[in-house]
Amino acid sequence: MIVQSKSSRTIRTLLGWAVVALFAFPLYYWLTIAFKDGREIFNYPPDVWFFSPTIRNFEEVFGISLGFGFGEQREVLPGGGNWRMGPRLWDSIVVAIFSTVLSVSIATLASYALSRMNFAGRHHFVSWILSTRMMPPVAVAIPVFFIYKELSLLDTYTGVILIHALMNLPLAVLLMKSFFDDIPKEIDESAMVDGASRWLIFRRIILPMVRGGMAATAVLCFIFSWTEFLFVLTLTQTGLKTVPVVSSTFVTSTGTAWGNMAALGAAAMIPAFLFILLVQRHLVRGLTLGSIKQ
Amino acid sequence: MATVRFQGVGKSFGSIKVLKDLSLSITDGEFVVLLGASGCGKTTLLRMTAGLETISEGEIAIDGGVVNDVHPRDRNIAMVFQNYALYPTMKVRDNIGFGLEAAKKPPGEVKAKVEEAARILNITEFLDRKPAELSGGQRQRVAMGRAMVRDAKVFLFDEPLSNLDAKLRAHMRVEIRQLHNRLGATTIYVTHDQIEAMTMADKIVLMQDGSIVQVGTPDDLYDRPNCRFVAEFIGTPAINCLTGEIVWDGETTHFSGAGMKFLLTPEYKIHAGKSVTCGIRPNDVTQASGGPIHGKLLIVEKTGADLQFHLSSDDGSEFVAVAPRSTPGTAGDNMSFSVDPLKVHVFDQASGKRIDV
Repeated sequence: MIVQSKSSRTIRTLLGWAVVALFAFPLYYWLTIAFKDGREIFNYPPDVWFFSPTIRNFEEVFGISLGFGFGEQREVLPGGGNWRMGPRLWDSIVVAIFSTVLSVSIATLASYALSRMNFAGRHHFVSWILSTRMMPPVAVAIPVFFIYKELSLLDTYTGVILIHALMNLPLAVLLMKSFFDDIPKEIDESAMVDGASRWLIFRRIILPMVRGGMAATAVLCFIFSWTEFLFVLTLTQTGLKTVPVVSSTFVTSTGTAWGNMAALGAAAMIPAFLFILLVQRHLVRGLTLGSIKQ
Repeated sequence: MATVRFQGVGKSFGSIKVLKDLSLSITDGEFVVLLGASGCGKTTLLRMTAGLETISEGEIAIDGGVVNDVHPRDRNIAMVFQNYALYPTMKVRDNIGFGLEAAKKPPGEVKAKVEEAARILNITEFLDRKPAELSGGQRQRVAMGRAMVRDAKVFLFDEPLSNLDAKLRAHMRVEIRQLHNRLGATTIYVTHDQIEAMTMADKIVLMQDGSIVQVGTPDDLYDRPNCRFVAEFIGTPAINCLTGEIVWDGETTHFSGAGMKFLLTPEYKIHAGKSVTCGIRPNDVTQASGGPIHGKLLIVEKTGADLQFHLSSDDGSEFVAVAPRSTPGTAGDNMSFSVDPLKVHVFDQASGKRIDV
């Protein structure tokens, strides 16, 4: 470790905290709005530290108590009053989890093949996968809408899960491929000489080694799906709506319900935070430590 | 246990030919070392034997059966990799037993064989550890244990000791050789370290630029190198090579060159006038005042057992001589050595081939 003077250590620590504060402050301010009532939100100068906290916004958004309204009333009611957003949060959770599982599963298998197996056009295949992300999503939204209409996938969980998984796949494949590429090929070869089949090698040896990579990819896929707006807007009507799309309904002809919007946003952070917390223990570096002499 | 035969084996990567028309026979239970500098194709040849590289030309046969198109898992071979290639998420026990598990052996048999291998390799206490918790030497033993338990026909070692420190390397050399004596398995061992080759091999295959230069026992290669390359590759300190010509003065045959003149065996008379390179091993000279090999002492290296004198001859070429610890000499002294004509290796200067008489 490089020896540093005490003053330089203090400056570095202070700078570090300043950067953290810079990122954390907007989040804190957003949270305070969720706990303020209508008038207080617009106070100038804003009451950043001292105000009278209320949970009214949350009550309005989720219908008095959390869990109320699940499955009962799925349409969004425009205007003030009770928004009943509980089911929308559930929609987001279902879509994000299933699309993440789907894309990570497919990406893991595909990228192992791309990393380890030799087949004609392998390198073109990687470029082709990447090229699918070069088009702006809005360019494919309308064609996808018509395809979905033909396949009766409009306004269904399956439809949204599929399109989110599809959008995530290129990035997930490339990301996972880089994790597989980092594992020395000698490990596969050694297992092959040991008499193992390709599937056994993948399942018993390689897969446990890319757990960290899968967790990282899952976090990215989850966040994409959790925040995706365009496809949910175009491919759903009343069957389901995810949080980003319903958030826009707080902007009404009679004004924007900032407190409600902040309350929904704050609540929406919890599942995403829990998911990341769940997978982050797999985000351990150095999984290959000890396998080979570097 | 098995025989291995290479017949006209060649390997190309695109337009680059890395192995050329290579033929070799390995008998049952033999310990063969493929020796050569980096990039000479020895590891490629080993990987082709394992089935990890395709064979561009010729054929490789294990126990008489051609294996060119046989998958690695069906060749019944065991391989120890240079960088160990252990499975990091598995315990040592599972690492060693993985091959048996893949072969669907009963758990009882797997356990017994793993514990037997661990006992032989002295790693029983580490069986429940992960590879990351082991030292380099212990990891190397695990890799060897993995190969041992499988009763493979042929054992392949790809520079298994190159990552270990000098002391451990010397120790593991003995262990690998003992293991071979115990198992009696046909073994192909790749290394660039001529000491490993000399100390372990029944037969050394010295390679250069994708071809075999010489095949023989360690003594064959040391005592009768068939070319200057082999002479220079084998032996520490390296052989002294002096360029000059063979002179016949009417009575005796001499080498003359590099400011020196010393006797050769009379049979070289027929090559009088030929430009040659004479190879003299540093251990084959004896200090003798007025001896024909002489020069100014540049430096004395103490190896503990003996002394290495680095001399500069009259024409500036360097010469190394090994002498007992009691031999006096300090930098700047003039020293002389004599050599037994029978110990002088004579090579054609142009082709580098040994001149036999």
